[in-house]
Amino acid sequence: MLQFITKRIVYLIPSLIGIVLITFILSRVLPGDPALMIAGEQAPQSVVDNIRMELGLNDPLYVQFGTYVKQLVQGDLGTAWHTGHTVVEDFATRLPATLELAIASLLIALIVAIPVGIVAATRKESALDHISRVFSLIGACMPVFWLGLLLILLFYSKLGIAPAPMGRIGNDILPPTNITGLYLVDSLLTADWVAFRQSLSHLILPAICLSSGTMAIIARMMRSSMLEVISQDYIRTARAKGLSEGAVVYKHALANASIPTITMVGLQIGYLLGGAVITETIFSWPGVGSYVTESILATDYAPIQAFTLLSAVVYSVINLVVDLIYGWIDPRIRYE
Amino acid sequence: MQKSKWFIVLSFTLIIALLAGCAPKANQAQNNSQAETGQGTSAPGGKTLTVAYSEGGQTLDPAEANDLTSDTLVLALYDQLVTYGVKQVNGADIADTTDIKPMLAESWTVSDDHLTYTFKLRTDAKFHSGQAVNADAVVYSLDHIKNSNSGGFLYQQATIDSFKKIDDSTVEVKLTRPNQLFLQILAMYSFSVIDPSVIQGDASEFLKTKTAGSGPFTLEKWDPASEAVFKANDNYWQERAKLDKVTMKFMKEASTRTLMLDKGDIDLAMEIPAKDIESLKANKNITVRSDASNRILYLGLNNNMKPFDNVKVREAMAYAIPYDSLIKDVMYGQAKQMKSIVASNTPGFTDAGFVYKYDLEKAKALLAEAGYPNGFSFDFTLGSGFSDWEDTATILQAELKKIGVTMNIKKLARAQFLEQLKTGNVQSFISKWTSFVNDPEYHLGFLANADSSSNYVHYKNDKVQALLKTAAVETDKAKRDAQYGQIQEQINTDSPYLYMYEYNRLVSFNNSVKGYIFFPDECLRFYPMSK
Repeated sequence: MLQFITKRIVYLIPSLIGIVLITFILSRVLPGDPALMIAGEQAPQSVVDNIRMELGLNDPLYVQFGTYVKQLVQGDLGTAWHTGHTVVEDFATRLPATLELAIASLLIALIVAIPVGIVAATRKESALDHISRVFSLIGACMPVFWLGLLLILLFYSKLGIAPAPMGRIGNDILPPTNITGLYLVDSLLTADWVAFRQSLSHLILPAICLSSGTMAIIARMMRSSMLEVISQDYIRTARAKGLSEGAVVYKHALANASIPTITMVGLQIGYLLGGAVITETIFSWPGVGSYVTESILATDYAPIQAFTLLSAVVYSVINLVVDLIYGWIDPRIRYE
Repeated sequence: MQKSKWFIVLSFTLIIALLAGCAPKANQAQNNSQAETGQGTSAPGGKTLTVAYSEGGQTLDPAEANDLTSDTLVLALYDQLVTYGVKQVNGADIADTTDIKPMLAESWTVSDDHLTYTFKLRTDAKFHSGQAVNADAVVYSLDHIKNSNSGGFLYQQATIDSFKKIDDSTVEVKLTRPNQLFLQILAMYSFSVIDPSVIQGDASEFLKTKTAGSGPFTLEKWDPASEAVFKANDNYWQERAKLDKVTMKFMKEASTRTLMLDKGDIDLAMEIPAKDIESLKANKNITVRSDASNRILYLGLNNNMKPFDNVKVREAMAYAIPYDSLIKDVMYGQAKQMKSIVASNTPGFTDAGFVYKYDLEKAKALLAEAGYPNGFSFDFTLGSGFSDWEDTATILQAELKKIGVTMNIKKLARAQFLEQLKTGNVQSFISKWTSFVNDPEYHLGFLANADSSSNYVHYKNDKVQALLKTAAVETDKAKRDAQYGQIQEQINTDSPYLYMYEYNRLVSFNNSVKGYIFFPDECLRFYPMSK
C-alpha cells in the first residue's frame, strides 16, 4: 500500500515537469504583450520598453524559463502585476473561497444525487424515475450563468430571503478568525454563530448553482450502475436467500454500484474547481476562478502558470485518492 | 485495528477543536440583530456610503494608477497641490478643469515668461502619519512620478524641466516651455503628494499596497477581489469628510450592480450598462446622472494603406456611417454624435469642416470618383472587452455592404489587439480615447501629431504639424483656441478617423446620496459626498 502511494507520487514528478514546461511555453508563445497592458494605451514607447526590461521580457526564452524554475523551486510563484500582489498572497485569500464553494457544491450534489439515483434505479420506469430524469436533464443542460441569474432574481430580488449576491459574508460582519480559510469551518471552530449564519446564507445560492451540473451527472451515473448491478446473479442469490429489499440494495448492491460513481465524483471535483469561474463572477465570489480569468485577459503570466500547476497537482492527488477508495470499497482491487 | 483508526481520527479532531478554541471569536453575539436584518450597511451612529465598481483596481501608487478604481482609491487617500473648481451646468455639479483652486499649495506665482511656478504650501496640512506636509515631501513626490511607468507620460506632458525646494513651505518648478496644461495636469491623482517618512524599502513596491497620503480618508482594507473600505480622516486639515465610512464593492456582473442598486443594498453604482438605464429610471428612489464625458469612440483608417490612402475613399466611408442609429441602437441614447476628433465639451472644440451625414448615394458617388465603383474589401481589427464596440462593428459591416464594401471583422483579445496596434500595420480598427486633461492639446498631441506613438492611423499633414507646434506654446487663450480650431477643421476635412460617438458617463445613485460631482477623469471624489 505504502509502496503503491510512493510509486504514484514518484510518477507525478515527470508529469509536473512537463506541465511547467508546456504552460510556460504556451503563455509566452501566444501573442499579446503584457508590457502594453501595464503601460496603458497612452504610454510612449520608452515606458513600454522600460517595463519590458523590468519584467525581463527581453531576455531569451530559456533565460526566462530558468528564472521561473529557480523561483518555483524556492516556492515563489511570481507576482501578479494586475493585482500588485504576489501570486502566493492572492491564492492564500482566494483559494479557500473557491474550495469552500466547490466542497459545498459537491456535498449538495452527493446528498441529492445518490439517493435520487438509487430510487430511480430501484423503481425503474416509475413516476419518480421520470421526474428525476427530467430534473437531471435540466440540470445538465441549464447554463450555469442563466441558473445563477434566475436564482438571484427569485431569492434575492423577488422573495428577498437570500442576501445580496456579493461576497462571502455580509457588510459589517467580520469574517471568522482565520484558521482554515473556510468561513463555515472557521466559524464553527470558534463558535462564532453570527459569522456562521452569515456565511452559510451567502454560500447556499452559489453552491446550488454550481452543483446543478454535477448533481445531474452523478444521479444518472448512480442510476445506470445501480441498474447494472441489481441485474447480476449475486443480487438474485441474495434475494433468494430471503434478504429484505433494503438490505439487498444498501448492503450488497450499493458498494458495487459506487465504483463508477466514485470515478465520476473524482472527475467532477476538478470540474467544480474550474467551473467555479462563472458562478464566482455572477455572485461576486472572491475566489480563484474569477482571478484566473482576469489574469488570462490581462496576459498576466505568473497566476496562469501557477493555477495550471496547482490544478495538475489537485487532479493527481484526487486520482490517487480515488484509486485508494476503490480498494477500500472493493477488497478485490489490490495495489501491486 | 478498526478501533485504533477511529481513535486517531477522534483525537485529531479534538486537537484541532482545542487549538481553534484558543482563537478569538471575530463576531460577538450582540451583532446578531444587525446581521439578521441583512442590511448592515450603516455603522452605528455613522454615515456609510456603499458604491459598486466592476474592477478591484491594480495599485495604490498614485504615479502608477491607470484604471478607474485605482484612480478613485488614490483620490480618496491623497491630496494634490492644486485641484479643480466646480461649476453648475443645468443644475448639475460639474468640475471645471480650467479653474484651478488651491489645495496643499496655498498660492502660487508664475514668472513673466510662464516658465517658473513658485508654490507656497499651506502650513497646517498633515499626513495620515501626523507628519507635516512640507517642501521635501513635494519634491519627493515629483521625483517619484518622474521615474514612474504610468505617470511618466503625464510628467512629460506637463513639460517639467526641474523642481527644487526653496524653503520648508516653498517649491519652485521650472518648465521647458510655457504650458497651459501644467496646472491642470498637476491637479491629477498621479501628482498626489506622498509622505516620505512612512515609506519603507523600495518606494514603488511599498506604495503599491500601502498608503502615504494626507487625504480625506484613511484606508481600512483593500482586497481587489472583493472590496475596499475607507474611514474618514479625523485629523484632516480641511473640514472632516461628511461620510464616516465608504465601502467600494467590486462586482464584475453588471446586472448584479443594477439589481442591488434597485433594491437599495448599495447607494451608488458605477459602470451601469446603457441598456439598464431606462429600467433604473422607473425607480423613483434613484437618480441617474448621464454626463457627457471626454471619452470618444473613433474608427481609425490606416492612411498609409490602400485604399485608405485615398481621401475620397475615407470621405465615402464617413458618409456610410449611420450616426443616429449608432447612438440609438448601440448606446440606447446614452451617447452623443461626435463631430470632431476632440470631444465636444473640451475647451476650443469646433465642428468646422464636419460635413458628413448618413448618405449612401453620396458615398457610392465618392467611391466611384475614387476609382472603386464596385467597392472593395478591407480588414477590420476588433479588440475584445467592450460590447458596444462589437455592436458598432456589426452595424457598420451591414451598412458598408450596401455600398459594395466588404468589412472582414477580425476579433482579437485585448492584449493582442494592443500589440497589433503598436506594430502600425492594422488596416482599420475601432478604439476609444479619453482626455484625462480637458484640453485639446492633450487630445490632438496624441492623435493628430505625426510623431506621436498613438497615431496608429499614420495621419500626417504639414499644416497640422506646424499649427500643433505654435499652439503648444501660445499663452493667449483666444489665439490658442483658434489654432486648435484650425487643426480640427483640417482633420475633419482629411477624415483620417471616422467618428462613432462620444460616451456619456453613467452613474446612478440613491436619492439620499448628495454631493455627486462629475469630473472629466470620470473618477468619484468621496470627500464632497454625503448621505
